[in-house]
Amino acid sequence: MPPLGHLHMEHVLQAVGVLEAVILRSFGPEGGQVLFTRDTGQAMLSRSGTRILTALHLEHPLARMVVECVWKHSSATGDGSKTFILLLASLLRLIHAAASKESNVSHSYSSTKAAEASTARHLADKLLAFGLKELDELIATGVVPYGGCISWEDFTVEAQTPSLTNNLCVQKLLRSFFHTRCGYTHCDFSSHLTCELLSHWKFKNQLPSFSLQLVSDYFPALHTPVSGFPVRSSRLIEGQVIHRDFATPPLKTDHQPVKAVVLTGSMQPTLLSTGDVILHFSSWMESSLQGIIAKLQTLGVCVLLSAVKQSAAVLALATQAEMCLVECVSEDELSLFSQLTTGSLALSVISKTGINAVLYVHVAFQDSEERITIKPYSLTEETAYRSIAIQPIQKCVLKPGCVLSAGGLFELLLHYALLQHGHSSSVSPDLNIDASVSQLLANALLSVPQKIYSHSPHHFLDLHCCREGDKLSKVSELDLGLESVSCKYQLLLAVLQCVASLLKVDAVLPTHTALHTQSRRLTRTSWEGTEDEGED
Amino acid sequence: MSRLSKKSPSVCTDMPLDNTDICSKLHLLKQILTSCFGPTGRLKQVHNNIGGHVVTTSASSVLLSSVSSSQPFINLIKTSILNHVSRFSDCGLFAAVLCLSLIEQIKKSALRESVAIRVNNYLLALCTSYLQREDCGCRVKLDFCSTQNLITLARSVISSKPACVLTEPETLHISKLAVQAFLLTVPCSSPGIVSFGRIVTVPVEGHSVLSSEVLPGLLVEMPDGLSEEDKPLNPLSVVLFSASLAGDISELGDGVIEAHPDVDTDSQILGQLLELGRQVINDEVKLFMCQKVIHPVLQQYLRSHGVIVVERLGIALMEPLTQLTGAQPVATLHTTIPPKTYGKARDLCIKHFGSKTMLHLFPLGESAICTMILCHRNQTMLNELKVVCQTAEHVLRLTLREPFALVGGGCTETNLAAYVRHKSKSEVPETASVLMCSQTEYLLGVELFCCALESAARALEHDGGSSLIDLTHAHRWMLPADAIKETMEESLGFCGCGLVQSSPSKKWTYLNTKYSDFCPSPVFKDTRVQPRVLDSFTAKLSALQVAVETANLALDVKYIIQDMN
Repeated sequence: MPPLGHLHMEHVLQAVGVLEAVILRSFGPEGGQVLFTRDTGQAMLSRSGTRILTALHLEHPLARMVVECVWKHSSATGDGSKTFILLLASLLRLIHAAASKESNVSHSYSSTKAAEASTARHLADKLLAFGLKELDELIATGVVPYGGCISWEDFTVEAQTPSLTNNLCVQKLLRSFFHTRCGYTHCDFSSHLTCELLSHWKFKNQLPSFSLQLVSDYFPALHTPVSGFPVRSSRLIEGQVIHRDFATPPLKTDHQPVKAVVLTGSMQPTLLSTGDVILHFSSWMESSLQGIIAKLQTLGVCVLLSAVKQSAAVLALATQAEMCLVECVSEDELSLFSQLTTGSLALSVISKTGINAVLYVHVAFQDSEERITIKPYSLTEETAYRSIAIQPIQKCVLKPGCVLSAGGLFELLLHYALLQHGHSSSVSPDLNIDASVSQLLANALLSVPQKIYSHSPHHFLDLHCCREGDKLSKVSELDLGLESVSCKYQLLLAVLQCVASLLKVDAVLPTHTALHTQSRRLTRTSWEGTEDEGED
Repeated sequence: MSRLSKKSPSVCTDMPLDNTDICSKLHLLKQILTSCFGPTGRLKQVHNNIGGHVVTTSASSVLLSSVSSSQPFINLIKTSILNHVSRFSDCGLFAAVLCLSLIEQIKKSALRESVAIRVNNYLLALCTSYLQREDCGCRVKLDFCSTQNLITLARSVISSKPACVLTEPETLHISKLAVQAFLLTVPCSSPGIVSFGRIVTVPVEGHSVLSSEVLPGLLVEMPDGLSEEDKPLNPLSVVLFSASLAGDISELGDGVIEAHPDVDTDSQILGQLLELGRQVINDEVKLFMCQKVIHPVLQQYLRSHGVIVVERLGIALMEPLTQLTGAQPVATLHTTIPPKTYGKARDLCIKHFGSKTMLHLFPLGESAICTMILCHRNQTMLNELKVVCQTAEHVLRLTLREPFALVGGGCTETNLAAYVRHKSKSEVPETASVLMCSQTEYLLGVELFCCALESAARALEHDGGSSLIDLTHAHRWMLPADAIKETMEESLGFCGCGLVQSSPSKKWTYLNTKYSDFCPSPVFKDTRVQPRVLDSFTAKLSALQVAVETANLALDVKYIIQDMN
């Protein structure tokens, strides 16, 4: 049995402190990107907190536990992983400070360390209880009045009348999202592009969630990464881009609509059945191919989209029949294609799009519903954010919710609300504990706007002033976009839960596990236990 | 399972631009690329540690792709530049030098990265809008009525690659050929969607560069047993096969083949092939071509009936051949060949190039297919010449989209720098507040950006001379190292691009010194004076954008996580 590794407050603080130091590099308006290299050697740039944390491959069990919590939270809301770590760190520090002060006073415990730990645990439990009980109401009274409302209807209207200023909400929401993901320089551009894309994906008689889900599901097929161009050359193209070139000369007819057939297998029969003479077989095969092509021709089909590579004979016959063939189309693209063409089998122009020297097949659809394919050009491989971008809109647009200016306003407002709450509750003596808890939470929250404005203190003061004076005038000057209040509320709860569970851990038991019975004798080196944490 | 190992933690680098190792690597990369820049640039020999092939080059595409670094930060910049080169073929070194000096300048100064990024973006937008303007001082409109500007453009590309080792007349000859070939690939009389033709390059080693030439039509390998005498009547009917005619049965796929002892499959298949040959002869086909191998018996049969047989064409020649002859590739062997798949060629003749003997096919009507025969003394120079000619073709093709060129020889860079300096001095407080920085920070950012542009212009000089800028047009001038101060005017002669001549009324200053800002006046449009050096407008504009965006990206990287698994 290996020695027990006792965990103290300091260890927890240290582990979270390390994570905080990494996260701070990419946090706030002054934060930058993080460059990753994957084990495949591929490089990637990101500012996304979840990505940074998961790429670290941490060994410390506590740190891994924190990362797990962050991951769970961000997969639920799609946002807030960096704030999570900052809040967590500042809460832990405050709890530690409070606990060490208190434990010096009490003498009932033999060890001060143990006393500290138990005080901290109690505080964390109280914080969680407070958060679950009171926070909801506090936000409703202290924060929501400062915010605005957003709903899917706003968004859809925006597409038709872009002049309405209050309907730019979704774009603002996206803007702050892109700001924290890919930096200041392109956030306006990216949010505008995403907004435009979403506004074009509308289906008749379908819930908005349906089209959002569809875009999110088929994003790889809808996205054409083109390297070597400035980011600003990204644009939307109507229709679908199939990421392959024609295997035969492109279509010449002007007939519209054009009929297309999707093939999933090889057209040429390949299996010899017993008794066939080779010569007969190959001549039969050729004539059967000719038959298929002739049949397709009578049906008026002139485009063949194939998931697999077809034989030279198929290519030659299709060329002679003036059909065009696209080989090796990915499954995703084919399924999107069939999804888009159901109901109306007709599609119009199929042309060769030269996206600057890279040739792709471009399918334009001929029905009233407009669909657009996004085709972002990019300098490097940094455009994968768009798919994640859809998630938070989905979350807050579908549940019509309150939004607030980004840039630490939520934290500041809640800070004041909590202080006020503390004052009012301290009047009644039985709720005395509550006051200290809300005070603590309020102070922890303040650390977030402090970090955001660490490079420009006067902006922080502005933010302080604006709360007293005219509501949001100063903040809107900064124009950092919008954040969803419900996401923030969930974030706070998740952090409180994480703190409570972190402080409950008192020891780490490193166990030796043999992964394979046969390899046991070979391995002298110890495998450390993977995710075993002792909980009391 | 026994191979399962624990994931090792990633290696992290905090603030990569403060890291001395990364900084020294960036500096080294900059030195390597700067020394290659321009017509007098120094060559680099690239060879690996296991004694592989040695490459002599100064082209960014070859250099950057052969230099590999363990540092992802360096690879980030490298990939960005290579992506640009893969799209535009030109201005890769310019983009790399500008990007690296921008990073270095900003790093040396105390400017905050986030401010620098915003200022850079603002100035980039200023530059691109200036370059698109009608009265831009460094842009030349291309006139397609005369080939002179096109030849200058091609010549600038070709002369910027010293690894080709060309003399002055040779450079001119190759430039003219490049323009001639380019013009041949642009179809004249086809309405509707225009599709370009193709230049097929045939390299010939051991001949003088001046014997290189451009031929309309295509060259294919000379078939055996053909002499000058058996020339068929023209025009000839052509058939083109894409399937193998060797009599193999590889196309059948998976399955069990039971061979009957009495049946001779080979002779059956051969009989089928000969049947095909009989039909072709009945249809009076005179040229029989196949992408793959043709069975010798079928070849012999066809030849005995006066048909010229060409086999093993390869996939690369198939598309130009279908374009040239109008034939459709045939892949069915058991059915009659549809008459519409036959193509036509006007004539053919035999050409000799050194040791090579080739068959020259002429198109029936107008065709946008041409062949460029490139000759050079040895393999290395020939390879570089081939790359350069492709670059020139690409650059010329880009002019069809945007019929402009930028003046070369460093004049565009100095002109831009002077314009940015002048333009940014107006409305300083407003711009600074938009960019969320102080006025001093903004002005420092402008100075760094201009210095980076000017250092790209200075990088063209490798022989110890100094670079000057004139204070009227803001063009770049070169002062040789041995020039005497008094006779400066004479030794200057013309500016870098050859558009401005030195005169006593002009004032100059050294490029790395401070000068009071002025608005560069456009050069008086004198039709007799033509620029001597021109750069591709499209490629250079993109290179400028890529350089600044890559620098911004590099400045924005605050942390590196390397997966070690």
